[in-house]
Amino acid sequence: MDAQKVDMFIMTNGKYFESHQVAGIRDRLISLDDSKWSLIQTIQFKDPTTSIIVSLLGGPLGIDRFMIGDTGLGIGKLLTCGGLGIWTIIDWFMIMGATREKNMEKLQQALI
Amino acid sequence: MPYGRKKLYTILSLACIAGYTWLIFTIQLELKNSGGVCLIKRVTGIPCPSCGSTRSVLNLLHGEILEALYINPFGLIIAVIMLILPIWIIFDIATKKRTLYDFYFRAESFIRKPEIAIPLVLLVILNWIWNIKKGL
Repeated sequence: MDAQKVDMFIMTNGKYFESHQVAGIRDRLISLDDSKWSLIQTIQFKDPTTSIIVSLLGGPLGIDRFMIGDTGLGIGKLLTCGGLGIWTIIDWFMIMGATREKNMEKLQQALI
Repeated sequence: MPYGRKKLYTILSLACIAGYTWLIFTIQLELKNSGGVCLIKRVTGIPCPSCGSTRSVLNLLHGEILEALYINPFGLIIAVIMLILPIWIIFDIATKKRTLYDFYFRAESFIRKPEIAIPLVLLVILNWIWNIKKGL
């Protein structure tokens, strides 16, 4: 794919991924066929900033986990008062990374 | 698949161990009306949908099923999960199968369907209202 297009993608979506993944994503996209571009462009990524806000407000109910698509863990968090409050606090620090991981999975599924 | 098998089993085992530790801790210290760990209750004074589930599980341990259901029906779900999970994990590891792993993700996508998810969310909200009324 055109390097300019890829750089544009990285510029707009770079914040949705872990910094160590960005270089790899760039290489993958450059070697990708042009026909996939429209598909890649339409993927909606979840914003880590939104998930940290949701985690701060709705963490004890597991809403953050439900939001990023971890339904199973969300239920676990909901049933246990946010993991007795401990998991809630851990997730305040983990949820941004978890969101970025989810975004990476989404992109990988589109690339296959 | 979002997680590797190992990662999922580690998370689930840790959750189980934490659950049993909490249960033993509560029984040992006889924290009958603790409720002190719930962030929502601490901050707002209003019980959360799952407040009282420790008391509910303790009641189940004493065989008082109706009492347990009255305090919080979530206790029953938690007790069933806590009983089944360790056995299932050990079975899977021992036989090198991935039945729990497959079941977990099938259950996840089943629950995510709107026709299932919306009634479940409503049930949780109803339980929450009931909890507030009971004043747990």
